[in-house]
Amino acid sequence: MMDRTVLGLILMLQISAVLAGPRYTLGVQGLACPYCSYGIEKRLYQIGGVESIQVDIALGRVRVTLADGEHLSEARARQAVKEAGFTLESFTQLDDGSGGDDEQ
Amino acid sequence: MSSNRPFHLLIWALVVSPITATSAPNTFNTALPVAQGEFIWRSQGMIRDRSDDGALKREVSVRALGNALGYGVHPNLALFATVPYFFQKSLDVTTPSGRVTRETEGFGDASVFARYTLFAEDFTGATFRVAPFIGVTAPTGDDNDRDRLGELPRPLQAGDGAWDGFLGVVATYQTLDYQLDGQFLRRENGRHDGYAAGDELQLDGSLQYRLWPASLTGVSGTPAFGYALLEFNLVHRERDELAGQITDSGGLQWLIAPGLQYVSRRWVVETSVQLPMIDDPHGDAITDDSVWRIGFRRNF
Repeated sequence: MMDRTVLGLILMLQISAVLAGPRYTLGVQGLACPYCSYGIEKRLYQIGGVESIQVDIALGRVRVTLADGEHLSEARARQAVKEAGFTLESFTQLDDGSGGDDEQ
Repeated sequence: MSSNRPFHLLIWALVVSPITATSAPNTFNTALPVAQGEFIWRSQGMIRDRSDDGALKREVSVRALGNALGYGVHPNLALFATVPYFFQKSLDVTTPSGRVTRETEGFGDASVFARYTLFAEDFTGATFRVAPFIGVTAPTGDDNDRDRLGELPRPLQAGDGAWDGFLGVVATYQTLDYQLDGQFLRRENGRHDGYAAGDELQLDGSLQYRLWPASLTGVSGTPAFGYALLEFNLVHRERDELAGQITDSGGLQWLIAPGLQYVSRRWVVETSVQLPMIDDPHGDAITDDSVWRIGFRRNF
């Protein structure tokens, strides 16, 4: 019974990993208070296919997860960050949603 | 008007500054960005008491709610609209016939202004910005309210009846640990029905220091911050005018304002108290005792 539960959990994790879309990490300069971070979230959510955003304010990083099959270009990310009033410092694609790592 | 001239003369010395729409500091503006398409709604309750030690024992009391709406038109351009509501704006004064109270309530004069980010330098976890602004105050408040003694003195009215203009520049240096703001403001007050409030020059400064979380090491996500703040306002106000300058009006004032601020992704809750450090009024103008403020901001 225990083995089946563990196997089920592993299977679910693998399925969710396959279904997850591409993920990106944006390095944002100028972000220094919680209230300002909402502007970045708002602009990034305007981009089609963005499913979730997490801002790590202490590191100045924004993690963006897109729906499966969607894609975020560096130029579009830079535009969204600029519209929020900040500066894009770095753009990294963590994976392409197929389960494999892929850095740009 | 002529029958109330003594009251007018008493109150011309009283100038109640409008509540401004501000972003980061509690008592003035900031240069921090408003994202394109983002709204910021701010409300701030204010309790202001003024008095003097003279024989007339003048006491001025203002209970108001300042309301402001900001909108990001462009990453560098934000528009703001503000309007105060006075729950109470009153004067108590001793007269030969005894103690007299005169008061009014209602919406005051609305302001609109634009702020443009002229310079911005961003760093990891920090930013420096300089933003000039310019605006007008419209005579939307009632400027001819009356009581049993007749028309209220002009400075006691909810509105001054005139179009006023103002401009200035604000600079902000913000890091994850602290924030510095400085502002220069010039206000030209218009004339209505012969009366003009004195023009103003204002220099403001603010320091915000993050108390909580004490350290951001190992902190992920976007936690709420708790700040202690200390602000100062240096205000020079010229004499009011009505058929010449009014001797007992205007002057120089230096206020400091310690306060606290809670800042999350969507909300800011804040409070402070402004206390006069220096009051150097022209003639026998009345002076401030304290200005308490409590308010919130919400972005959407």
